Amino acid sequence: MKCLVVDDESLARERLARLLAELPGWEACGVACNGAEALRQAERLQPDLVLLDIRMPGMDGLEAARYLAGFDRPPAVVFTTAYGDHALDAFDAHAIDYLLKPIHPERLRQALDKAARLGGTPLEELGAAAGSARRTHFCARVRGNLELVPVDEVVFLQADNKYVTVRSPGQQIIVEESLKSLEQELGASFLRIHRSALVAVHALRGLDKDPAGHCRVLLEGVEDRLEVSRRLLPEVRRRIKSGS
Amino acid sequence: MSRDSGTTRAKHRQEALFLPSFCDIRMVFAVVVIAELLAFVLVLAGYHIEVWSHLGLVSLFVQLVALTSAAVLCMVRPLLARTGNTAAAISSYLLLLLITALISELAFQTGGLGQPLTGNTDHPGFLFRNLGISAIMSALVLRYLYVQHQWRQQIQAEAQARVQALQARIRPHFLFNSMNSIAALTRSDPVRAEQAVQDLSDLFRVTLQEASERVTLDDEISVAERYLRMEALRLGDRLRVEWDIDRLPRKRWVPSLILQPLLENAIYHGIEPSPQGGRIRINGWAEGKRITIKISNPRAASGADAHRKGNQIALENIRLRLQLAFGEQAGVALTEIADQFETTLYFPREKMQ
Repeated sequence: MKCLVVDDESLARERLARLLAELPGWEACGVACNGAEALRQAERLQPDLVLLDIRMPGMDGLEAARYLAGFDRPPAVVFTTAYGDHALDAFDAHAIDYLLKPIHPERLRQALDKAARLGGTPLEELGAAAGSARRTHFCARVRGNLELVPVDEVVFLQADNKYVTVRSPGQQIIVEESLKSLEQELGASFLRIHRSALVAVHALRGLDKDPAGHCRVLLEGVEDRLEVSRRLLPEVRRRIKSGS
Repeated sequence: MSRDSGTTRAKHRQEALFLPSFCDIRMVFAVVVIAELLAFVLVLAGYHIEVWSHLGLVSLFVQLVALTSAAVLCMVRPLLARTGNTAAAISSYLLLLLITALISELAFQTGGLGQPLTGNTDHPGFLFRNLGISAIMSALVLRYLYVQHQWRQQIQAEAQARVQALQARIRPHFLFNSMNSIAALTRSDPVRAEQAVQDLSDLFRVTLQEASERVTLDDEISVAERYLRMEALRLGDRLRVEWDIDRLPRKRWVPSLILQPLLENAIYHGIEPSPQGGRIRINGWAEGKRITIKISNPRAASGADAHRKGNQIALENIRLRLQLAFGEQAGVALTEIADQFETTLYFPREKMQ
């Protein structure tokens, strides 16, 4: 069985890899030092299981687990943490295991056995823990390849039926989420300018009018000009003026 | 050693007793003043014509009772301290009544004070009146002393709780992550593992000290270095540290653990949230009568708010401890400069108060 070891601390990775090497039937097929790298490695190596540290810079373990659960062949996930994170309380203890560092070899073996028996971790069993925090990346497949767009780089989100287009200067992906829930999750760094669009406040550059006389926003980093609804125009104007 | 703890225990017990020490000269003065006030009240309430001569007699008598009581309470205080407050209250109350009775009796028999004081020679009447007055006054005074003692104890407990709350603690995350690093090193690099165990032990020894402990700046810096070495173990080259403290007088005293919590915050909020890590700068110097230490760390984009909040608690704590040690001339400030957080500690160069 192949296992991917994810931790931002090299000594922690080293120890886990060693513990795995001592367990018959398991091998550490790769390592990653944050959530985004974990997703790329998991995509490439197709592990049976991911040992995932919860607290990591960039994309943390909970967010990575959420995207891993969306894989075609989702690996089982076992979380590791140094100290009882509150997030762990939200897990269904039967479905998702976690290990406290320094990890006891016997506990590791039990967790791996159980994970191997149960297989991949379905999204819903991540419980509220994975859904409540603000994400750091958008994740989707583009022509079969995994694409990650850091939230900080996103310029706008545009809804179309049940999909939302996520646009950054260099990337464009489509996610299957509602604009309303995204608006709630992302908070004040995004501004609603239309029933179907949110724009990043930091990317707001100005306003112009299309030939038909509709107001549109100019955004930094992308050519697209998005229509502003009449109702939301005063607020958009105010934000552009205040320079934020 | 055992005698030491014996005397400390006795001292503890005496502090727990609600009765103050009547051997204290200030207490004696208070007794005299209160006794004289009582004498005034008694004379004013008596509607005598010869107020002044009567006041002399009453004062003499009341002072005699009050001062004798103070002397006796002064002597029996160590005994009372062993009994607990309820027993001490009852026995001192009975003692006060007994003293009143004895002195009244003595005054009546020898000096003939009873007659001029009461205006008649009614012996039992004189005794009972005095006992009545003494019963009420003693109850009031004891009650007052008890309430005041409770109040003082409460203030003390609050002060202690504040000091304890100020006691620097190391985050549990740090402990367990360090343990994990050591577990990894024991096989791959036993020498570094040994060093890490020593560093961690020293750090914990310091955090277990009293919050009011004082150390030299030299010691404080060495604690900070150990802490940073532990963090470097797990963060690797994500943590870069730059010391610039050649101009710092190293023999000055400071409250223990004023640097480490700030470094911990700098790492927790400035280095850990960033995949690339960053640099922490510690810059210290003395200028005129003031010593300044500056710690700067990068501002992680995602953690800026948490940083401010987390820092505020640590800063408030350190500010209070610095001010307890140095008074108002010491303090700590947080500034944001471009993409950096900068924490500045300052305190007077002279000796601690």
